[in-house]
Amino acid sequence: MQLGADAGSLRRRLIAASCALLGSSAARAGQGSFTEQLGRLMEDWKIQSALAYYREDGRIQAIEPVISAVRDLSDGGKLALNFTFDSLSGSSPNGALPSHVAQTFASPSAKSLASARHLYTISPGRLPADPHYSDARVAGGADWTLALSRLTRLNVGGKFSYEDDFYSATVNAGVEQDFNDKNTTVSLGVSSENDFLQPIGGAPAPLSDYSLFQKGGHETKRGQGLLLGLTQVMSRNWLSEVNLSLDRFSGYLNDPYKLVSVIDAAGDPAAYVYENRPGSRTRRSVYLDNRVAWERASVGLALRYMTDTWGIHSDTAQFRLRWWAPGRDQYFEPSVRWYRQSAADFYRPWIAADSAQENYVSADSRLAAFHALTFGLKYGIGLTDRLGGIGRQGAEFNVRLEYYQQTIQNGPVAPAALQGLDLYPSLKAVLLQIGFNY
Amino acid sequence: MARRKCILLCELIALCSLTVGCSSVGVKPWQRELLSRQDMRPAGNGLDEAIDDHMYFSKEASSGGRSFGGGGCGCN
Repeated sequence: MQLGADAGSLRRRLIAASCALLGSSAARAGQGSFTEQLGRLMEDWKIQSALAYYREDGRIQAIEPVISAVRDLSDGGKLALNFTFDSLSGSSPNGALPSHVAQTFASPSAKSLASARHLYTISPGRLPADPHYSDARVAGGADWTLALSRLTRLNVGGKFSYEDDFYSATVNAGVEQDFNDKNTTVSLGVSSENDFLQPIGGAPAPLSDYSLFQKGGHETKRGQGLLLGLTQVMSRNWLSEVNLSLDRFSGYLNDPYKLVSVIDAAGDPAAYVYENRPGSRTRRSVYLDNRVAWERASVGLALRYMTDTWGIHSDTAQFRLRWWAPGRDQYFEPSVRWYRQSAADFYRPWIAADSAQENYVSADSRLAAFHALTFGLKYGIGLTDRLGGIGRQGAEFNVRLEYYQQTIQNGPVAPAALQGLDLYPSLKAVLLQIGFNY
Repeated sequence: MARRKCILLCELIALCSLTVGCSSVGVKPWQRELLSRQDMRPAGNGLDEAIDDHMYFSKEASSGGRSFGGGGCGCN
């Protein structure tokens, strides 16, 4: 009996202890639920984030934070989200030529040169640029890849971009099919883009005299794209990819803030007119990317040839080398990119006042013939073992520095009065980026 | 123009060579250790490429080719 009494007492004590233990576990679970949930959420998503600072020599500067999150789904699919914010400020070239005389312009919001809130005067010899340029952009996107079978995937996605004077929405869909023991993947995708432009001060009448302020309301632009891709595993350390793309844009393709100088016989600016570009543009491109890896290094060479109905042909070659330090927790990645393009058929650095008027004309230097070089260096350090208990595979801190230089080819022979002016100034820019992947 | 056609022809030959040769090249699943690394994946440097593409899109007349563009800026 004594034993029974002792057994009952022991049972009660055990029940009480179990309840206390459960209660304490529940309390701990309640306290840790947020961090546990956050931890579980972070386990499911791969996060990439970066903050980029871009600065041109004497022109634009921009700050751009970017974040993307990718989650592998249990059915073999994938969900990817990204978000970008840009803040730009500085001086934006307005397309007019430098001159030996001072030139005065009004910012786009002006209704006349007399009522302009922001007039700006360009000193002789300087490139005309609006010093009050400021803009902000918010952009985001989502892509969902759905595994239809072991070898077939369907992906759908969308992007948006919002600025004060520009809204853009793009949707895309595609299918990927694996062959040859998953060594070959063929993909086919289509996209549709719709843009709405509401230029500050209104969209100027094409080729209208700048001083007359003939401006309308909003404009629209549409685009459709087709992309055919082939990815091939060539060997256990060599991957090759080829893409053929075709896209077509139509609608308002002008830059509403770009002017063209009208030069008199003496070479002085007699007037300025707003540019006008064709209302459609079709582009074709071939893109070839090869990547080769070794134990502590990898290289990548990407080549692209692009041509369009505006008469622009471009060639691009980009090479990068990633070299891992012993231990494979730090790497250096130097890169170089070479680019050249021919001028658009309607690119004219200026218009002679006595010449016949052309239907399409633009002095935008982005449509000129030029070549560009980019030199970059990236350094990354793995954080998996440096974050203690919260470290995870793939965690990394990186910093990247790039230098970009664009050299514009000289155009037609300038009138005597323009001699000595830098009519085709080069562009130099630096990009500094800090990134954190988790 | 002849040079352009030559470049285009070379690129098409490269594409055809890849397509024809696809069935005879490749690796077994257990030989993909190097290929599965992040630096070997297409768009493995996703953010770097997105930031670079935006810079080039706003400064050059050509863009894209690697994947779909869109959602860009109004800078034409």
